[in-house]
Amino acid sequence: MNPIREAELIETRRHFFGRTATGLGAAALTSLMNPAAFASSTASALDAPHFAPKAKRVIYLFMSGAPSQLDMWDYKPKMQEWYDKDLPDSVRNGQRITTMTSGQKRFPIAPSTFQFKQHGQHGAWISELLPHTAGVIDDLAVIRTVNTEAINHDPAITYIQTGSQLPGRPSTGAWLSYGLGSMNENLPTFVVLHSTVNGGFGGQALYARLWGSGWLSTRHQGVSLRSTGDPVLYLSNPKGISSKMRRNMLDKLALLNQDRFDDVGDPEIQSRIAQYEMAYRMQTSVPELTDISGETQSTLDMYGPDVMKPGTFAANCLLARRLAERDVRFTQVFIRQWDQHGNLPKDIRRQCGIIDQPCAALINDLKQRGMLEDTLVIWGGEFGRTIYCQGGLTKTNYGRDHHPRCYTKWMAGGGIQGGIVYGETDDFSYNVQENPVHIHDLNATMLHCLGVNHEQLTFKHQGRQFRLTDVHGKVVKPILA
Amino acid sequence: MRILSILLIMVLASAANATEPISFNKQIRPILADRCFACHGPDSAQRVSDMRLDQQETIFRELPSGEFPVVRGKPTESELIHRIVSTDAEQKMPPADSGKTLNAEEIKLIKQWISEGAEWNQHWAYEAPQHSPLPRPIKKWQQNNSIDLFIQARLKKQRLRPETSADKETLIRRLTLDLTGLPPTLEEVDQFLKDDSPEAYEHVVDRLLKSPRYGEHLARSWLDAARYADTHGLHLDNERSMWPYRDWVIKAFNDNMPFDKFTIEQLAGDLLPTPSLNNRVATGFNRCNVTTSEGGSIDEEYYMRYAVDRVETTATVWMGLTAGCAVCHDHKFDPLSQKEFYQLFSYFFSLTERAMDGNALLPPPVVKVPTESQTANQTRITGEIKQQVELVQKILADAKYTDSFSGDDYPAFEKSDRIWFDDTLPAGAKPAGNPGPWAFVEGPDHPVYSGKNSSTRTGNGLIQHYFTNATDPFVIAENDILFAYVYLDPDNPPETIQLQFNDGSWEHRAHWGADKAHGAGRNNASNKSLGSLPELGKWVRLEVPAATVGLKPGAKLNGWAFTQFGGTVHWDQAGAVGASQLSPQQKESYAIWKHFLETVSTAALPDPIKKLIAVAADQRNEAQTKQLLSYYLENVNPVTVAQLAPPKQKQAELKKELADLEKAIPSTLVMEDRKEPRVAHILERGEYTEKRDAVESAVPAWLGESPVDAPQNRMGLAQWLVSPTHPLTARVTVNRYWQHYFGTGLVKTSEDFGVQGERPSHPGLLDWLALSFIESDWDVKQFQKLIVMSSTYQQSSRVTPPKHALDPENRLVSHGPRFRLDAEVIRDQVLAISGLMIPTIGGKSVKPYQPAGLWKPVGFGGSNTSVFKQDSGEKLYRRSMYTFWKRTVPPPTMSIFDAPNRETCQVRRTRTNTPLQALVLMNDVQFVEAARRFAELVVTHGGDQVDQRIAYLYRSVLARNPKPNELQLVTQLYHEHLAEFQEHPEAAKSLVSTGESVRNESLDQTELAAWTMIVHLIFNLSETVTKG
Repeated sequence: MNPIREAELIETRRHFFGRTATGLGAAALTSLMNPAAFASSTASALDAPHFAPKAKRVIYLFMSGAPSQLDMWDYKPKMQEWYDKDLPDSVRNGQRITTMTSGQKRFPIAPSTFQFKQHGQHGAWISELLPHTAGVIDDLAVIRTVNTEAINHDPAITYIQTGSQLPGRPSTGAWLSYGLGSMNENLPTFVVLHSTVNGGFGGQALYARLWGSGWLSTRHQGVSLRSTGDPVLYLSNPKGISSKMRRNMLDKLALLNQDRFDDVGDPEIQSRIAQYEMAYRMQTSVPELTDISGETQSTLDMYGPDVMKPGTFAANCLLARRLAERDVRFTQVFIRQWDQHGNLPKDIRRQCGIIDQPCAALINDLKQRGMLEDTLVIWGGEFGRTIYCQGGLTKTNYGRDHHPRCYTKWMAGGGIQGGIVYGETDDFSYNVQENPVHIHDLNATMLHCLGVNHEQLTFKHQGRQFRLTDVHGKVVKPILA
Repeated sequence: MRILSILLIMVLASAANATEPISFNKQIRPILADRCFACHGPDSAQRVSDMRLDQQETIFRELPSGEFPVVRGKPTESELIHRIVSTDAEQKMPPADSGKTLNAEEIKLIKQWISEGAEWNQHWAYEAPQHSPLPRPIKKWQQNNSIDLFIQARLKKQRLRPETSADKETLIRRLTLDLTGLPPTLEEVDQFLKDDSPEAYEHVVDRLLKSPRYGEHLARSWLDAARYADTHGLHLDNERSMWPYRDWVIKAFNDNMPFDKFTIEQLAGDLLPTPSLNNRVATGFNRCNVTTSEGGSIDEEYYMRYAVDRVETTATVWMGLTAGCAVCHDHKFDPLSQKEFYQLFSYFFSLTERAMDGNALLPPPVVKVPTESQTANQTRITGEIKQQVELVQKILADAKYTDSFSGDDYPAFEKSDRIWFDDTLPAGAKPAGNPGPWAFVEGPDHPVYSGKNSSTRTGNGLIQHYFTNATDPFVIAENDILFAYVYLDPDNPPETIQLQFNDGSWEHRAHWGADKAHGAGRNNASNKSLGSLPELGKWVRLEVPAATVGLKPGAKLNGWAFTQFGGTVHWDQAGAVGASQLSPQQKESYAIWKHFLETVSTAALPDPIKKLIAVAADQRNEAQTKQLLSYYLENVNPVTVAQLAPPKQKQAELKKELADLEKAIPSTLVMEDRKEPRVAHILERGEYTEKRDAVESAVPAWLGESPVDAPQNRMGLAQWLVSPTHPLTARVTVNRYWQHYFGTGLVKTSEDFGVQGERPSHPGLLDWLALSFIESDWDVKQFQKLIVMSSTYQQSSRVTPPKHALDPENRLVSHGPRFRLDAEVIRDQVLAISGLMIPTIGGKSVKPYQPAGLWKPVGFGGSNTSVFKQDSGEKLYRRSMYTFWKRTVPPPTMSIFDAPNRETCQVRRTRTNTPLQALVLMNDVQFVEAARRFAELVVTHGGDQVDQRIAYLYRSVLARNPKPNELQLVTQLYHEHLAEFQEHPEAAKSLVSTGESVRNESLDQTELAAWTMIVHLIFNLSETVTKG
């Protein structure tokens, strides 16, 4: 800001507050000066974290459609002998399955066609589909026993994102915004990024409720950062309004609003003045955020060639790091098209080809900058996939239906112990054998890393104290650092 | 000093309270509910001991241990006290692991309550509202009606004074925004200012209550509660046709439908004795819930979820009851048991709907809802069709037919070809070929069998041309033999030729020559071998009996393929030849026709006529004989058929018109019960698979018995809700109206009147309002008038610091209401002021401006709402309540200003203040365009001088004149902007080109741009987006 402008602004502010001899200005002054004012004009729900947080922020890489744990993470060598044999009833044990396969006459086993090798200090088994991720395995806590009750996409993704299968409750990021507030004054607290696949969108649907605020104040809802058009909706001035003109208009607007405040004494007016200032700042800070021309070539190379194409998963991972650097509390990157009911081997190879390198790059990039220590990274989908084949089975081609009873996600960074594989599933990756981690447990663990006791982050609605983890959830202590 | 005095007032205020006796409902129950009920409350499953503190019967009753939870007047003998003051960790209540504690103040209150005799009352909201004596008017303060008595009595008690009345300009803006959701026009403001009569204000109220805008505005918040939207909400989130219900709500408010009727029609309109179409449309209320058709979903689960949603919504909207808590277990705070929940659930569990909505626009049950003009047209066309039918009958009746043939020397019948295509392909046919498209050649240089061309192909290997998708299919008749003409080039003969027929599949083939075409080696219907290649160098007719390629009579061909292996082949004329036919001459004879039917085929006849033919001629009675002749004349005899052609043609046209009209008639989702009700069960932990005891529909009796004669269905439920003794319906409803005007309800938690909800700020007033509403026969408009006529409503909204300190949220209504306008009102306001608004009421939802690329990144590929296609023209400027509401991606300018996503029932919106809102007002094309359009009016209607124009602008937007300092500042900004645009005329041009509406080209671009900026400034004022 040029010094003259700044002086004017100070003068304007002095003018604002000089005239508020009524004393009412104080609250609004706080909101003007409060760095967390983006998210709220009031303080966050928690005065302080419940205990010392290990992570300050979260980057959640969400694989919508449900990637197959069997072909990426959960190595089941015995299954090779079971090719085209029926899933034993004793394994399925009468569990409900979706109506997409419940009518099948058989449930033939489809062993993974992919090779697995051991990686890292503890020899974790990882599929050939994830060579780059295998390189950072010592930073990851791989959880193979994540489970949920939902068996279809809409309820399942709503469940993991909001703690309930039915629409209506606040999303994870909204809870964090509500509970912990913002850490910066120029950007939203909760940012959502959508990734293209092969230049387009498609796959299982996503819903605004997945980053919505439910019955929390709408100020906590996630803000989508878009790769085409305005990165933040309505960010650019209309054609014909220059930045100078905008500044001039906003200055006069502030004076008129202030004058109104002096007349009627409503503190909301001062809050609105502050919000216009914030909006103006965003007009600069957001383009600065999305401009990656300052990134070094070696950084860009790390994420792979797609990083130069806005909207790709690679570009979004880099953007997630830039958001983390700017202390955005919660960044959620969505990538779709993991719903592989048929042609799984071919499609999962494409998907892994898209995500593998950027995931590893994000971990390495954060690490190099010393940010992995206080940034929690989470990877995974809404449920897993079945060992039995959906549709035609051949040695090289198969499909898998939805499987909620066990699947794999990983966590890394702030508060999480690297290089561990947690939980055991049976030979069919059908049932949890040891150390189940319900999605409520996963969310409880995420909150724990942020210094929040998931049982104490509550909001009273309709007479009841609601939580992200409903009335469940326990922290998965063994994976904590 | 000021702060000190505020503190003093506060101290005095609380001291005043301290001398009053303890109120159980106000002071004690909230503590017990919050700290104790979870284990000692209504939930039988969670209750850990016999001590139950939520009921009068149990709280004073001896425990098995011999102790009494509470002994009236004797805190020291009360076990409750022993436990809460105990220092023994084993004894101490609440237990440490509950995370709950009682502070010293709270313990003191409970002790005092017991000392005073432990008065126990039912939770206030579950007892019927009571008339209490009206508070005495306070001298010198303005009282217009009883509302003011209650509000002022409380203010006096808190040592506050009401504000004086707001000025007339503020009042008319407040009132018009509140009753119509739009600002007053300049003319309306002037008229009000001119009217000095004491009734001036009331005249405005009456005028606004009659405005059709009133119904729209009040409907809007009802639609939040009804979770109304234009898509299904789950998974694909496809479009749903629900808007006739939305229009019903608007009309109900405009017609001032009494609230009891409004309730009954929406919950049970289909169960009225003779339900009208409107009654049925009204039941859309409980079809607005989100539904799915996601592949893999289990029906039972969704039947259950839909019914749960309907109970929760109905309970929230009419009773402020948080019924959802009892899905899994007895309610922990309110007396609603799990069984009672499933009894309510049972009312909504037996609909004829399907669990999977099929991603359809209209998942049944639905009704057609024609507009008035559509109904009129239907009647007209139906009448005209009838006339034409009568004309046909008349012609037939008048026909004087005599058969020229007699005797029994019948002529022979001939076979003739039915040609399907020759020279041109059948209608709708999609031609294709591999490689390359169809090639046609003409004679005389090329062989042609008939007409002017033949199709031809030359190449190597298996090649072909074909078509599919013929819209007028070729129907196979009995004994049909398919044919086509072929010419094989003697210089370059193929190895194989093949014909393929498509009746939905291509598995009907025949070939000649080597077996090298599709389906080689089969020699069955999917590729029948019919011998060697035909003679080269001449046209040969290929014949394929339909039966040999698996085509039965009635099969419908839509495609045909000409296939060859190598060589050069010409093809021409194709079709089928079937049984013998009547020649036109033969058709002229009734006797010959009958003979044909009796000896050859009746295949072409409709069934009733077939039956007549089957009856021996001498057995037919007179009517049958007449019917047969009439059929003959109408359909066969060439002379009468020609006579009938014009009326029949007309009839066909009318029928098409009618069909098109009926297709255009909108439909909407409605409620309808199954004939055999589905039995509801208590579901353990709310799991649909865990059925326990069966239950029947019933209302929770602790809220009052059903009226005598009330049926045990949704109608009974509705009648119970609006029975005058129901403790909740009227209170909850008037509370939402209060919230509409004052921003906060008398009960702040307007969705929860239960034990955990907030107590009313003015219990007496709430009851008085509820009873007045019931006694007025639920007159909704009269109720709105009651509120806005009060002096409480008309107070100035100015707030002084001491008052703000004592009444920060204006719960005491110590000043007039002031809060940010709702999302829809903010947009509608600028549309109205700029003259852009299209006032049409109702109809299909529209898609105004929305930034590109919002739906695609999240939409399911196969969804019909995955691509947003913006409307244009008038549809850009409809009121916001008509904006297409896609639930999984709601319209952004609405959500940014706190509109809910309409997935679930919402009766109270949050009201935030964020930078994203600033960005919308600063940059959304809708707002900038409105500024430009209004700037045109400012220039053309606002006078010649800058200050005149600014005044016009202020008065149009804010209903008031600018103050001198405002005028000065805005004038200065105008000149600055003008100078800027003069320097950058291209910027001016860009700005005034914003939006799709036509610009007034006669105006100076630079000047208009500068005024656009000024309007833009005023549109962004806090005052503009605020009701003050």
